[in-house]
Amino acid sequence: MSAATVPATSPRATSRRPIATEAELKGRWWRFAVLLVVTAITIVPIAAVLYLSTQPALGSTVTAPFTLENFTNVFSGTNVLLWLQNSMTVTLITVAIAVAVAAPAGYVLSRGRSKLVGGYSLLLFVIQSLPIVTAVIPLFILFARLNLVDSLTGVTIVYVGSTMSVAIWMMAAYYDSIPISLEEAAWMDGVSVFGGFVRIVLRNSLPGVLSTAIFAFLLAWNDYLIATVFLRSDYNYTLPVGVQTFFQQNSTNWGLVMAVAVVMMLPPVIVFGVLNKYFSVGGIGGSLAGK
Amino acid sequence: MSTSSLTRSLRRARDGVGVAGTGRPPDARPRRVLTPRTLTMLALVLPSIILVLLLNAYPVLYAGVQSIRDGDLISVGDFVGFANYESVLSDPVFWQAARFTLVFTLVGVFGSWAMGMSLALLLRRRIPAGNVFKVLLLLPWVVPVVVSATSWNWLVATPQSPLPILAEALGFGRVLFLANPLLAQITVCVFKVWISFPFMMMMMGAALASVDNNVYEAARVDGASGAQLLRTMTLPLTAKSTYISWILMTIFCVNDFPTVFLLTGGGPVDSTQTLVVQAYRTVFLDFETGPGVAIAFLMTIVLVVISVVLYRRVRKVEIE
Repeated sequence: MSAATVPATSPRATSRRPIATEAELKGRWWRFAVLLVVTAITIVPIAAVLYLSTQPALGSTVTAPFTLENFTNVFSGTNVLLWLQNSMTVTLITVAIAVAVAAPAGYVLSRGRSKLVGGYSLLLFVIQSLPIVTAVIPLFILFARLNLVDSLTGVTIVYVGSTMSVAIWMMAAYYDSIPISLEEAAWMDGVSVFGGFVRIVLRNSLPGVLSTAIFAFLLAWNDYLIATVFLRSDYNYTLPVGVQTFFQQNSTNWGLVMAVAVVMMLPPVIVFGVLNKYFSVGGIGGSLAGK
Repeated sequence: MSTSSLTRSLRRARDGVGVAGTGRPPDARPRRVLTPRTLTMLALVLPSIILVLLLNAYPVLYAGVQSIRDGDLISVGDFVGFANYESVLSDPVFWQAARFTLVFTLVGVFGSWAMGMSLALLLRRRIPAGNVFKVLLLLPWVVPVVVSATSWNWLVATPQSPLPILAEALGFGRVLFLANPLLAQITVCVFKVWISFPFMMMMMGAALASVDNNVYEAARVDGASGAQLLRTMTLPLTAKSTYISWILMTIFCVNDFPTVFLLTGGGPVDSTQTLVVQAYRTVFLDFETGPGVAIAFLMTIVLVVISVVLYRRVRKVEIE
């Protein structure tokens, strides 16, 4: 690739090209081999989940080397469908609120001139660096009084709180990449500040919004700590907590566990697979760098 | 980056650091306190401020209060001064957890960075099926920790698991990955690196993509070797992203709960217990709210100091 970009008319490039191409090719296969080995080892645990979920369970009558009975068992014989629904509800509401609150707040962080804005940005950075455990304990006490322990509403509120700081930063980082001259032109035409935000900035920020939404989705969907602290009854469990109940027997039925694991990992993998071109961790780091 | 947004981010940076005046651009009009613009901005940011104060700031301050009281999960309890801190700080388990948190964080940050950076470098140039590799390598980060911890448990936990069987077949004897304290610590650290390297790969990949390829061409034409290129060009050119990725990963590692808790629960004999896990166990399994909150609050104080310092440093780096 690099050799090809050098103009062919350059005498130096022409004389070097055959060697460079050969080395390039050799290097390419060497890199390919290394990547192949590393990737193969890396995805063993994930491949194991997929493989075990299709293996006949203990005491099963199925003799085929490959079966979907774990999935049918899991959906018909356990609460997994209910937990899946709980996980979905909690996650989607978290995403909606996080984006709805962070999108306007990020605009202020990006365009604000006041020193207070700088202070707020520092506050958010400090908050996102704190252990969730610290906030969880007092919130548990508060929620116990408000009847929000063992409720999906309570868990959703905590998720919204724990996404907020990073979500605002991610939105601000995206707005930073939109030239302010666009809004200034709109203001000249008599558009209000709010109108400029909605019609100019927000309308051009789909990747930023999606990035933030993916972040909130992964956080809420993958959470274990908050759910295990706040959710007490089986029918309120989300998937990460629910699947733990499968381990209480003396001999774990790995086929069933892995079937639930597959159900649990599909949504984030699909979301990330479809939308990953919008997701840049740069959003998290870039906001720090002020890019 | 356009000039106007550059000026703007510089201004924001200065505001953040609070040095050298406000850096107001020359075209700024004299400010009234409550212009329509200010009011709009206030309305836009207010919901988030309310949520942040209620769900983040209040609990942390409340935790500070709790840590000097002998309450439980229902009542606030009586004032006990620094008794909770004394009991925590004189407990060898706390110091063991602090030590392991440090090891876990160091291995997590530098292990995942080294692996992520190497892979980003490998993936930077055109390679057959490059995108397939990229997607597959991101999976450990995307898959819920509960799922991967389950899978790792299946792979290593008991003598009948695949990895111990493999180790025995290779002549290593009986390897008990999660029963031997040192091996359990190593396993937890490897697990953390496995979860975190894709994040580093993405960050460093983005950083490498922004480096101008012509610089490399020039150096290569001048006869620089691959190792020289890495040391004298790639690493310095991506230093800032590296620094930021280390900061973020440090925060992720110190605060990580599920990685350790789901794989080992902190055992055997507390050898893999990190401070977060210890705080959780003290409050929710031993029901000693005061000491548990004291642990969490000690971490909080340390992290607040570290993050303020790092925040200022990052902002300052940008101005220079």
